[in-house]
Amino acid sequence: MTLIHLKDLAKHFKILNRHEGLKGAVRDLFSGDYRTVKAVDGISFDIEPGEIVGYIGPNGAGKSTTIKMMTGILKPSGGVIQVNGLSPYDNRIHQAMIMGVVFGQRTQLWWDLPVIESFKILKEIYKVDQRMFDDHLGMFNELVGLKALFTQQVRTLSLGQRMLCDITASFLHNPQVVFLDEPTIGLDISIKAKIRSLILELNRTRNTTIILTTHDLGDVEALCRRIIIIDKGKILYDGDIKKVNALFGAYRTLKLQIKDYSDATLAALQERLTGRFGAAHGITVAQTEEYWTDVTIDQARTPLADVLGFIMSNFPVADVRIVEISMENVVRKVYDGALQ
Amino acid sequence: MRGYIAFIRGAMLVGVVYRLGFLFTILGNIVYIIIAYFLWRSIYSGSDSINGLTFDQALLYVALGSTMFILLKTYTDWGMAGEIRDGTISIYLTKPIDYQLYNFFTTIGFASTSLVTVTLPTVLMLLFVFRIHIAFGVGYLFFPVSLLIAFIIGFNFDYAVGLMAFYTESIWGISITKEIFISVLSGALLPLQFFPAAIQQILMWLPFQAIYYTPLMMVTKPDQEVGVFLQMLAVQIAWAVVTYFLSRMLYNQAIKVLRVAGG
Repeated sequence: MTLIHLKDLAKHFKILNRHEGLKGAVRDLFSGDYRTVKAVDGISFDIEPGEIVGYIGPNGAGKSTTIKMMTGILKPSGGVIQVNGLSPYDNRIHQAMIMGVVFGQRTQLWWDLPVIESFKILKEIYKVDQRMFDDHLGMFNELVGLKALFTQQVRTLSLGQRMLCDITASFLHNPQVVFLDEPTIGLDISIKAKIRSLILELNRTRNTTIILTTHDLGDVEALCRRIIIIDKGKILYDGDIKKVNALFGAYRTLKLQIKDYSDATLAALQERLTGRFGAAHGITVAQTEEYWTDVTIDQARTPLADVLGFIMSNFPVADVRIVEISMENVVRKVYDGALQ
Repeated sequence: MRGYIAFIRGAMLVGVVYRLGFLFTILGNIVYIIIAYFLWRSIYSGSDSINGLTFDQALLYVALGSTMFILLKTYTDWGMAGEIRDGTISIYLTKPIDYQLYNFFTTIGFASTSLVTVTLPTVLMLLFVFRIHIAFGVGYLFFPVSLLIAFIIGFNFDYAVGLMAFYTESIWGISITKEIFISVLSGALLPLQFFPAAIQQILMWLPFQAIYYTPLMMVTKPDQEVGVFLQMLAVQIAWAVVTYFLSRMLYNQAIKVLRVAGG
């Protein structure tokens, strides 16, 4: 049975057009000048129990708005949305019992109290019995060693510790579906790894459905079998991660700082690379930020080491960084028809 | 219900975390009562009774009024406005709880802490340091119930003002206006007997008097007939019900304009 069903889901916001400066602000007080923003514009998909779905897209794509409709916070402007057969908005309190939510940038824990007190409050509002509560905390303690944090005030926790506690809290009532909205934002590599293995373990042992929104393609690679890419409120891709993996898995971006950079450098770089590796080399050159030139390389076609060696010996390079392809680049490639 | 009781407990624990703040609240209230003492002393110089109240009754009214003011000033509206503005409200909306009841019970929790740490010490001080004379009567039995209903009405006002943040983002002006209305029109600063008769008539038909004037009169003039107190309670309850439903209706409207930041 389908757990989550979305059909032509839409959410439109009316936003006041604000004007610049003090004069503009005063004018805004009496302004009726609204524009409609289609944050979510006709989205359809179905999610089965036990799936881990990566819901990704660039900033402002409509990810969080969709999550907020699935969790019953926002009322859709149009379309159908059903979680476990019911509309989340119209049955909010009832539906909340089967959901867990983590918002990476906020916490559900009581800021001034020791962590364990928040867990106790959640235990009461979700009517979790004592044995299940103890088992649950015991299991988390085993997985990530939380016990030492229980008596600490939430505001004294590090971001990573707090996130582990927040995730623990959202699984406390053994929900059918957990929404993780940017759970690894601002965290370092080791705590990210911890969080990923925690999520995988919970999905494996309890068959909890997980909807994950993230900016970190590493999260998606590590956790998801299915991926939904959305931009400007519309779905760009919905399917197996393997296909998308080929897009960003094989790509790397060389970030170069070239001495005496001028507009001509970019063109020269492009020309020399084409000269050396041929027309179908799968290399794109762009300047994305000041002083840095991005050379994106499809490793399936041209080895990164060759390109790096060629550039180093032909251009006065001051600094080099190698980065994985960004979310924005994946989306750009999808737009360009890379998945067709 | 178990869940909401947990909110009371949680809020009490938070209240205790900030225990040092209580000392300053008590200190400030004492200064206010000393000033009120001398002010009313001079108002009463040469007369035993003004507008039907003796000096002792007026002082008890004003001192207890300011103590009650601290108890009822829970900053719920400010807390809500902050949550609505920065989007934290979405956390509560993903929980199986009613937002109004959640706020009510946390407010009860905060107030319970301040009842023990601020109100009780102040009342003891009124009795044993300022030696305010009180006459006992059946009104004292009604006072706790009346205080609780007053608390509910006060909360409903706060809640409604907090909800305005859905529309206005900042509630500074609205909250200040509410404070002024309540402190003047409810008889929190001045017993309503001191207003002109015509204005008194109007005030008795407004909900504000049910917050301060009603419970305070139960202790200022406790030796009236039971029927009088029951009637006072009935009016209070009516206002509690009316303000509850109005604020709930407001929520149902306001929640529709919710727009949480973050894509």
